[in-house]
Amino acid sequence: MRLSALIATIAAIIPLIALIYFVIVRAIPWLDAELFVNNPLDKPSGISNAIFGSLQLTTAAILAVSPIGVLAAIYLNEYASPRVASWSELVIDVMLGVPSIVVGMFAFMVVVPQLGVSAGAGVVAIGILMLPIVVRTTQEVLRLVPSSVREASLALGVPVWKTVIFVVCRTAFSGILTAVILAYSRGLGETAPLLLTVRGTFAQNWLDFGTTMNALPLTIYSYSGAADSRTLGQAWAAALLLMVLALALNIVVRARTVNSRVA
Amino acid sequence: MTFNITRSPSLLSPDRTFRAITLMAAVTTATILAIIFVVLALGSIPALTATSFLDFIGTNAGPIFGTVATALIAIVVAGPIGILAAIYLVEFAPKRLAVVLTFIVELIAAIPSVVFGLWAVNDLSIRLRDSVEWWIASTFGKFIPFLSEDSNNPAADSVFRAGFLVGIMIIPLVVALSREIIRAVPISLREGYIGIGATRWETIRHVVLPTARIGITGALMLALGRALGETIAVTMVIGGSNDVPGSLFQPGSTIATRIATTLPEANPDVKSVLIALGVILFFVSLGLSLAMRLAARQTAKITASVK
Repeated sequence: MRLSALIATIAAIIPLIALIYFVIVRAIPWLDAELFVNNPLDKPSGISNAIFGSLQLTTAAILAVSPIGVLAAIYLNEYASPRVASWSELVIDVMLGVPSIVVGMFAFMVVVPQLGVSAGAGVVAIGILMLPIVVRTTQEVLRLVPSSVREASLALGVPVWKTVIFVVCRTAFSGILTAVILAYSRGLGETAPLLLTVRGTFAQNWLDFGTTMNALPLTIYSYSGAADSRTLGQAWAAALLLMVLALALNIVVRARTVNSRVA
Repeated sequence: MTFNITRSPSLLSPDRTFRAITLMAAVTTATILAIIFVVLALGSIPALTATSFLDFIGTNAGPIFGTVATALIAIVVAGPIGILAAIYLVEFAPKRLAVVLTFIVELIAAIPSVVFGLWAVNDLSIRLRDSVEWWIASTFGKFIPFLSEDSNNPAADSVFRAGFLVGIMIIPLVVALSREIIRAVPISLREGYIGIGATRWETIRHVVLPTARIGITGALMLALGRALGETIAVTMVIGGSNDVPGSLFQPGSTIATRIATTLPEANPDVKSVLIALGVILFFVSLGLSLAMRLAARQTAKITASVK
């Protein structure tokens, strides 16, 4: 029986290896300088609009969301009564299980009529998906800060707010950074909400969140069935970039907190 | 740890201000949730009141069938593998190996679903068609039309392949959740059983799994919820047909794929139907997610009572 459990474990890992192998092998021939510099309309074509679009969208979302998320986690962990904290944990956990397409649909119904099909609407959708990740992970980290640290600070006459900011948050700083990085890496890969809000474009867009933008997942999605080998190759290259970014961010984070329970 | 500062001397003390700021952030988070909830619930009313609920299900049988079918196939693929892998990681693997393997399995969860989709379209889907799908069709297809396939001319996309892909994608979730739950079973229970002469495997079968049963069921429900909502990878391999397919090995669609592909250009009638479908998806996954959390709390209580 031990053997069957081992086989199952191997079976769980095989897809990862097959996938990584495939993406690398298919993508490498298409990695050239033009890929990063040119747009799909340039000759030779590239996907710089998608690369920098993804970075802009995700960065804007994380900048908007992480202060709210971290402060909310501080409230829940440091101020809220255990009862309120426990219920909000449940609610946020449940929110983590909401399919991203549903959040995309919400953004399509509420934000797109206001802002139009635009990068801004995409930022809202991605931000909503990131928020519970930031709150929940930060909360887990703050909980790990021992009460004795807080008590020591308070006993020295340091006001509560200074204790929270300069003692609790400083102790947990790398953990809070982890929360933000995890949310960022999740945001990078979101596709379905972007399909409903940003839609994609061939043009390069620098920081104009009122018009449409492109993103790596959108490029992968729309190029995935291309008959033209260069276009399909660029889909693989985009997939490699996205995968390397997501895996690198996760490895950086998890290498430091291997035993962390937070997914 | 809770600070009580209700007797702070001044209304504008930094303590109160900071507390108010954090409270505002928490309220903002809660408000966003509440708005999503209300908007979706209200948005579904036009479609759900226009016809009876049964008619609504009937006219949208295709995507509803596809959603349920892909999610169930995913659970059949990921459930046994995920739970067995979790048992191996907790009960058998040497500690260092367990850490490394857990790390690798969790990395699968970090890979964006669109990358899985690209891989499936260009490689996995074809392999599945020629192996598992071909085997099932040639073995059972003769007796069960629902599992039949024209082996000379198999469909380019199929519900089965989409479900299998989602199964691979949710394995890490099943492993992670089951591992937590199995690990929470108290050592003393295992020791007691081993003490009366049971083997390692008997202990797992008769002590660990029964104790963890509720929790593992909850884990599978959460995984099911994740599978129901998986969108982009499924869109890329399921084919996009709107009818209930005559066989699992033919193209179909799911609620999520319908929304992703048709919502932006939909006319108002179709739009309200899609929104209603999305709301059903929303509430079903909320329910499954909630069930999982409550099951986890239940297991925690059982194991705590033994400790």
